[in-house]
Amino acid sequence: MKNQKFKKFLTTVLEPFVFGLLALLFILPTITVMNLEPITKVLKDLDVLGVSSKTEVEINVIGGTHQIFNREKIQQDESGTYTYTTILTRRDADRYSKPILEIKNNKNIEVKLEIYGNTHLPTYSNISMIINDQGYILQSPNGDVTTQKILLLPNQKYVIYLVVESFSNVQFNEDFDLKIREIQ
Amino acid sequence: MSKLLKRALRDSLVPAILMIAGKALGIFIVSGKYGFPLEIGNDINGIFSTQIYFEDSQITYFVNSISDLMMLIVIAVPTLYQIIKTALFQSSLNNPKTIVKLAKFNILQWITRDDTTFLRIFVWCVFLWLCTGIIIKNALEGDTYSWIAIVSGLLSILSGFGALKTFEIEISRVYPDSKKYY
Repeated sequence: MKNQKFKKFLTTVLEPFVFGLLALLFILPTITVMNLEPITKVLKDLDVLGVSSKTEVEINVIGGTHQIFNREKIQQDESGTYTYTTILTRRDADRYSKPILEIKNNKNIEVKLEIYGNTHLPTYSNISMIINDQGYILQSPNGDVTTQKILLLPNQKYVIYLVVESFSNVQFNEDFDLKIREIQ
Repeated sequence: MSKLLKRALRDSLVPAILMIAGKALGIFIVSGKYGFPLEIGNDINGIFSTQIYFEDSQITYFVNSISDLMMLIVIAVPTLYQIIKTALFQSSLNNPKTIVKLAKFNILQWITRDDTTFLRIFVWCVFLWLCTGIIIKNALEGDTYSWIAIVSGLLSILSGFGALKTFEIEISRVYPDSKKYY
């Protein structure tokens, strides 16, 4: 009798956990499948000793999740120009920033990059980037685009932060493109 | 613990494993077959901790599409098989012509045992809906061919109707239609 009571008590206690387990059986595969989605990135060119022998400028998306910067992607065209794209979602008037790109200069010489970016429509937002605590304007509120030239020191790594400052609420999503190419 | 909960747990295990296996195998089989170089990273980005990298965006697009299609196939085929099997089983109970047709196609074994329940069909349908959700999200973000999203959407709607029909059959077993007896 006592044993049966204990069994009943145990069942009552365990049942919510089993419900949780059942929910996990649906949630975990979904998260795993989303995690398995392939990403485009410059692959490490390792030799037999496991050392990278690539001597060029590498640009990779940092990724992660952000409230305003969505669907980040980077593509390289045949001429060697990288195009970083993201969707700036609708937002309240405020200043938002996110680390977007990691640039590695694997060359033993200095490299100069030309960087410019803009939204497809002017949205009265100030868009700029920050590299090593130095701010660079990309697009002014009236839509004017400024091309920036950045000097990369040999064998150095840089992180680009994208900054969007909106002076009024923006009620729609906008596409933002950033072009990066190496110049002499 | 209730029997329903135990059965739900047991029935969810196989589709959960198949869903992950379909996606993972899809990536590795396609990249192996076409010789695409890939790299596995483990940078922590939000809730995700493992990344599969490809060098070219077109390759990423192709591999993601095919692996999504493979995941859809491994979930949709058993779901549709179970729905069709249940429909045929019920039809054979009311209509002898169905038995003749099944014998003609040599698939009589489909109706010899009624081992498919509504719960199992519902669980598989939920997994199919989850797959469809992921594929549609990918298609909207431009990471998967849109035709795969359309096919998955159609399959989901079809399996939804199938599950509903099975539910009606199960309900009519418990509460038979009184008109039948008058």
